[in-house]
Parts: sequence; structure tokens; C-alpha cells
Amino acid sequence: YRDLHTFELQAPTRVIEWARGSRVCVAGYGECGGNEILQLLPPPTLQAKEAQGLCPERDFKVECGGFSKRPVYSLKHVPDTSLLVTSGPPDSSLQVWQVSAEDSDVIKPLSTITTENGTGEPWAKIATISARAPWVLHGSRLNSVQITEVELGKNVYTAASQDSEELSGLAFLDCNTLLLCSSTGRLLLTDVRQPQGPVGAVPAPPAPCGEHWFLGTCCGEQGSEPSSWPVARLSSRGLLTLTDLRKTPECLASAKARVPSAGAGAEFLCVSWAPALEGCLAVSGFDGTVHVYDTQSWDCSGREAEPVFVHKGHAFSGTGDPPLVTVHTWHPQKPRTVLSAATDGSLHVWDWVEPCGKC
Amino acid sequence: MPEIKVTPLGAGQDVGRSCILVSIAGKNVMLDCGMHMGYNDDRRFPDFSYITQNGRLTDFLDCVIISHFHLDHCGALPYFSEMVGYDGPIYMTHPTKAICPILLEDYRKITVDKKGETNFFTSQMIKDCMKKVVAVHLHQTVQVDEELEIKAYYAGHVLGAAMFQIKVGCESVVYTGDYNMTPDRHLGAAWVDKCRPDLLITESTYATTIRDSKRCRERDFLKKVHETVERGGKVLIPVFALGRAQELCILLETFWERMNLKAPIYFSTGLTEKANHYYKLFITWTNQKIRKTFVQRNMFEFKHIKAFDRAFADNPGPMVVFATPGMLHAGQSLQIFRKWAGNEKNMVIMPGYCVQGTVGHKILSGQRKLEMEGRQILEVKMQVEYMSFSAHADAKGIMQLIRQAEPRNVLLVHGEAKKMEFLKQKIEQEFHVSCYMPANGETTTILTNPSIPVDISLGLLKREAAIGPVPDAKKPKLMHGTLLMKDNSFRLVSPEQALKELGLAEHQLRFTCRVHIQDPRKEHETGLRVYNHLKGVLKDYSVQHLPDGSITVESILIQATAHSEDQGTKVLLVSWTYQDEELGSYLTSLLKKGLPQSTA
Repeated sequence: YRDLHTFELQAPTRVIEWARGSRVCVAGYGECGGNEILQLLPPPTLQAKEAQGLCPERDFKVECGGFSKRPVYSLKHVPDTSLLVTSGPPDSSLQVWQVSAEDSDVIKPLSTITTENGTGEPWAKIATISARAPWVLHGSRLNSVQITEVELGKNVYTAASQDSEELSGLAFLDCNTLLLCSSTGRLLLTDVRQPQGPVGAVPAPPAPCGEHWFLGTCCGEQGSEPSSWPVARLSSRGLLTLTDLRKTPECLASAKARVPSAGAGAEFLCVSWAPALEGCLAVSGFDGTVHVYDTQSWDCSGREAEPVFVHKGHAFSGTGDPPLVTVHTWHPQKPRTVLSAATDGSLHVWDWVEPCGKC
Repeated sequence: MPEIKVTPLGAGQDVGRSCILVSIAGKNVMLDCGMHMGYNDDRRFPDFSYITQNGRLTDFLDCVIISHFHLDHCGALPYFSEMVGYDGPIYMTHPTKAICPILLEDYRKITVDKKGETNFFTSQMIKDCMKKVVAVHLHQTVQVDEELEIKAYYAGHVLGAAMFQIKVGCESVVYTGDYNMTPDRHLGAAWVDKCRPDLLITESTYATTIRDSKRCRERDFLKKVHETVERGGKVLIPVFALGRAQELCILLETFWERMNLKAPIYFSTGLTEKANHYYKLFITWTNQKIRKTFVQRNMFEFKHIKAFDRAFADNPGPMVVFATPGMLHAGQSLQIFRKWAGNEKNMVIMPGYCVQGTVGHKILSGQRKLEMEGRQILEVKMQVEYMSFSAHADAKGIMQLIRQAEPRNVLLVHGEAKKMEFLKQKIEQEFHVSCYMPANGETTTILTNPSIPVDISLGLLKREAAIGPVPDAKKPKLMHGTLLMKDNSFRLVSPEQALKELGLAEHQLRFTCRVHIQDPRKEHETGLRVYNHLKGVLKDYSVQHLPDGSITVESILIQATAHSEDQGTKVLLVSWTYQDEELGSYLTSLLKKGLPQSTA
């Protein structure tokens, strides 16, 4: 490591999202209500260019907080606004929150975006964009994908689809193109300007049934041509496939992450691209570690790949059962800085160095 | 409703000086008397004119309590007691009493000698002030006077820091001062019993902080020291006599042992003696681990840490030195600093807050050219690092303390005005108590609901029981009786018994009212008219016509007499006892309306 900071949140989080002004948002996911949504101001060490080991301010500051009765499974900041959107069980509705850090430090619930026949549905996956207006793309199944204008709560687009397969991820490729990933691993593209429904772009990768697939996220700046990035999919057994959407449907690269054989379930699987390191992605959720892989050396064989770095910090955190890493995210500017959280409430910020000195 | 009034004179929405006035059941207590370290003028002292515009404060305060020796909690004490004027008792724990004067004197030296201030307290004032101090032990109930008692609880944070419970009768307030809910290497965690005070006053400056783990800080500290020593540099760590110094020593000793390092570590002698002395005195104030090691061996008998001699500063090669004073403003640490400052291989690690005007403060602010005595310029090429291990409670710690004490209300004293709304809501939601955040000079009134135990006489109980149904244990029942307050007991007895006990005779109050009505007939005819009228109207009451012509309505007597001068007017005398006031006045107004024309 070049740097490692460990923090303890009062309650574990399964979301770490970047918000305006390099703030970080986390939220609790407890079943019994009383969950807190916190907007944190990272310490100057995270914002500074050079690592300052003994900087006086090393702590996160809770800038604002709000209370959510529901567990928060997904949280997204709406760009260019002071709004947050969250989703979580027991249905597929979304909650919109107002963060007004100047007046008070309370994150107030603003409105709810409900979906037709939404009760009892799995929780919605969300993505946000602020191109023509602040939009949130959400849905829990392929047939319930829609875009809602956040401030007015108006529906702007509904993807026409009969498929009731569960969604595991969705994203805006640009302000008109949506990428959807079903839990069986199918990738679908759709254009909001076209009336027809999502077009299957990439079929599910060959893999035993029953595996859940997750879409790789990218927290890069808007407009950095995300459509040129390969799309990563992670399966619940550790298989990673990369696809270039321009060269579909053939697989670009594929590898197997080193995961413990006794799967801990697919609750918290997370895969994300490093915004400033080409070809680097991080994988977490199988145990108490976060793996970083360099995909540039991969081929399509699906062999097991060697991670360039493994963050084991969470596994050593405390006593008792080792925790599971719930989520991780890359720092948008600092190339090797990653934030990760685990089920024991820990929050780590780490800046890794490639062991063989290739950085 | 009885109330508790709290007014922060400092530390309500302002980090820097703590000074809180509490008014409880007629007693006035001042909690802490801190100095604001950032100001150079009168703003550094709390505004005592709030208590009284002129004159001494002795009559206005029942006592002063100091939570711990940090200057932002006790720095204004000599000014307050000697320059403004207060002669009453000042309470603090034994370690605080021992350490306070040292820090105050240090601070006085910097302010007066270095900065040349004039309106400041003198050494003699510090001494005179400390004479007024009464030291207390943990968990010892101290009677300030017949009604006011206080008790200190362990607060962690620094050696001798305490939280205080202030109690008058059954109303109580707990003030936390600065505290820490997680134990560290040399101090335990704060603890309070389930005392259920009416109000808990807690600091919340660090409530919004999510702290970097101690392990990371320590790791970074050790890394820095190691790097410097590896390249042959010298590390200077200015410390106060106590507290963090011990922690860092233990940390370095363990690290040196593990890494098998050879560079010498020194501790200046004055420091060793003093520290040893204080730790021996206050061993109960440190945590279990220290106590165990102290019993086995001397606190300062480290394998790798030796006593320092000033000649060593000139020795070549790497070394680490702990020296006082902590802000580099004078003495040995400053001497060493001057010797080592010019070499970029060296490093100085400042362990905490430095007062403005000190060398420590200047270099932390980034100054690299310092003017020393005799207009000598010192160029600082050595690395300057800052590290703070000081421990305050964060949001989680505050919630823990509230859970332990179970107060009915919470009051937050803290740094930033509006940024506490979230914490306030969090506390209110989780514990269903009211949470207040006053500003400096703003008075918060907390209503309390004390229960006053009263003995009730058996006779009264029996009588009340005979009247109505058996009372529900959960519902309040209204009773009538007389409250006797004698000596220190309250008793509820029947009025008759009260009269008897006090040797008083019962008096009867009787009212008589005259109502004039026009009626030329004879008196007894008028009387009959009245009787028939009332009998018809007052169907629910017992209306009687007595042989002597008078009418009774329940126990009220009405007599008709002739007007002395006017034959056509009759005077009705309506007479009732105090108990029948309502009916009496009703009858009177009824009769005043006149009698119906037709009569039986």
C-alpha cells in the first residue's frame, strides 16, 4: 500500500457513491428501519494530490444525514443537482432525497417514484444522468425498465419489453443509449428515441444455470465515452467476461477470478472499472477481500486470472466471523485509490501499489 | 413547573472555551471555566457579566466544577476567581488539581513573557486560585451544601478528566466535559451508571467525525519515525508532561523491539520524574493494562528509552527525543529544535494543539523562517509533522453514553450552529427525549417533573377509599387533604387532623346576601311565594318550608323580612356557608330576577 485508512461506520453500508464536490454517500441497509443516509466529506488527504501521511485532518466528516425506514440497497446521486435517489425492498419504488448542506445538515425525503404493479417486486436498480434533464433510469425486471424525470416525477420513457426476467444492472451509455443486464447475464441495448424495445446485444455467456450475473460499473466522468469501454460482467461463481459493444457478440476477454469455493452468496457482488487506469477492474463481494485485476493480459479462455493486488484489510478488522465486503468504488481522480465497505461497518480507503513495482 | 436553566457562556456553538452556567432548584453552578485559545483579547475569556454586571461572583454561584486540565476548560479560572472575584468552592479531581497549575503557569509565561500582554493573571493569582480548590474522588458524593451534592465519574480523554453529576433533591444534571467512549493505551473509557438525570449536557464537537482508526494513525506515526531514523535523521517530539507521552513511549518501545532497531530514544529527565510521580499518585486513573505493568515494573523503565542529557543533542546519528514543553515555546524542546531545525533529514512531530504565538503554532502554520531572540533568523529545513491522538467522543460514543445514563433531556454544546440538526434528530428518534442546542449566551429552560414523596395518613386513605371505588393503580386519583410541611417531612392529613395537630380551631364562614323584591304583602306570604317558586324551579334540590317561615334549599337558609323603610319591598336574606358558595350565588342571582307574578 502507499496509503491505508480504516474507518468504522456506525452501521454497515452496501453503497458508496460519489456526490457533488467529492462527497461520498453511504447508507444503512438494516431491516428494522432507522437507517441513516450519510453524506460524508472525505479528509483532505483524499482530496490532496500528494499523500500526506500525518495530515492533521484525517477523518471523514458527516456533512449531512437523513433517515430511511427502508433498507437502502442502491443509492445514486443525480448529477448537477443536490438530489439523491435510493431504492430498496420491499418494492421497486424509488425515494428521492434533497441534500441542502448550506441550510441544515438533514437530508430530507422529497418524493417517491412509484411504479405500476410495483409492490412485491424486487428492488429497483438505478442509474442517473443529467443530460437533458435530471433523469433516473430504474427497473427491477426487463419489462419494468423506465426513465423518470426526477424533479417532477414524470415518466419520460418506458422500455417496451415482455420479458419478465430480473434485472441485475443498468446504465446510461450516453444520454440516449441504455444498457441493461439481466440476472442471467444477457446484455441488451436500447435507444430511448426508438419506439422498439431493448435489443438483445449479447447473449448470456456460457455458464451453468443458476448463476447470477452482475454488470460492471464505471464511475468515470460523463462524456468520457463510456461506450468505448468494454462491458464487464461478473458471475456469482467468479467468471468475468468482457465484451466490446461495438464488436458484439464475440467475447473480448474472459477470466475467472480467484474466489473461495464455498460461495458466500451473490448478495454483494460488485465489479467496477478503474476510471484512470486502463484495463484495470476491481471485484469484491465473495469474501472479505477486494481483488484488482489487469485485464489487458486476458484472453478468451476463461482461465483463472491472477489479481495484481488483493486488499485483505476487512478480513482482519475484528473478531468473530470475517466480514463480507459489501461494495467498493474507485476514486474518480486518484488512479489507485479505492474505497471499500464491509458487513462489519468498516470503511477502508486504500491506495495500492503493484507489488512487482510496475506502477 | 420546576425548571433547570442552562446558559453556555462559551462552547455553545463555539469551539474554544467551555463555560456553562446551570441553575437547578435555586442553586447556581458553573461548569468549567475555559479560555479561548484563538483570541488575544477579552474574547478569550467567557463573558461573566452575564452573571452580574459588577462585583464579585461569590454570592451568585454555589460552586464551580472543572472537568479536566485542558486550557479550554480551565484556562480562565485564575482570571475568574482572582480578577473578577470568586471565593466559593472550586471542585475538580485530584489529578486535575495537580496538573492545572502547571499548565496555567506555562500558559501565563507564554502570554505575558513572550507576547508581552498586561491584562493577564499572575503566578500568585494561580496559586491563590488553587487554594480555593476542593479535590474530589471518583464516585464520591460531595455535599456542597445541605441541598446540593456532586459526584465525579470517569471520563477517559486525559488523566483526571471527569464527568460530573449535580444533584439537588431529585433533580439532577450530568455534565460530561470532554470524554471518550473507547479506551486507549493508557486511559480507560468513560463510564456512568444509569443515573437517569433530568438533563445530560454533552460535548458534540466531534459528533460529526468518523475517525480514522488508531491503528492507522499509529502505523503512519511509526512509519514517519522509522523513515527519518533510517536515513540518519533525528526526531523531536515535544510533549506535555503527561498523557500522550506515555502512549507514544509504549508504542515506540514495542516497535523498536519488534523491528530490532538500534537508534536511541531519549526522554528528558524532568519529564520522567514528574510523570512517574504523577502516575504513582494517580494510578487508579489509568487503565487496567497500565496498572498491571506498573505493578510489575516502573512505568518508565523502558529497555530502549533512556534519560536524556542535553549534550546528547549534539551527538551524530539518528535518535528520537521526547522533550517538554509541548508547544516549543521555551525550555528544552525549543533548545533541541533550534539545534536540529536546519537539517532536512530531521523531523519534528507536534503532538497536539499549539497556542498562537508559540513556535509550535508558527511551524504548523507553515512558517519556515522564525525570528528568535536577538533578531536571529532560524531557517526551518526539518520536516514538520502534526499528529493528534486526542480522543473525543464521536456520534457513536455520544449515543452510547446516552444509552448508559438514560437522561430525560439532552443538551449539546458544540462547535457549529446549524450542523447539529441531524444528530439532534438522531437522538430524539432513538431515545425519545428532547434535545437542545443553545448558542452562547442563550438560555435553555428544561422543564422537570420531580416527584415529591408525601406520607398520607391512614385515616385520610380510609376515608377516600370509602367514598369512591377502589382506585386504579395506574390512574392518578384526586384527593383532598391538607399538606403539612414540618421539619423535613411532607404529610397529607385530613383537615380536622391538621387543625388538631396545629392546635387551631376550625372556623365557619357564613355569607349573607340581601335581595330586594317588590312585594307589598306580608312577610310570610312573600316567604310562601319564594318557597313555591323555588320548589318549582329547583326540582333536583331539597327545598323545605320551615314552620318559622324560613326556606331552606339544601343547607342554605332564606328568610323574608320587611324592609325597614319601605312597606312595599321585602328583603330576602340568603345565607350560606363557604362550602355552598356555588349554590348560594346561584340562588341569589335567581332570586334577583324576581318572583313570578302568579302565586299559589
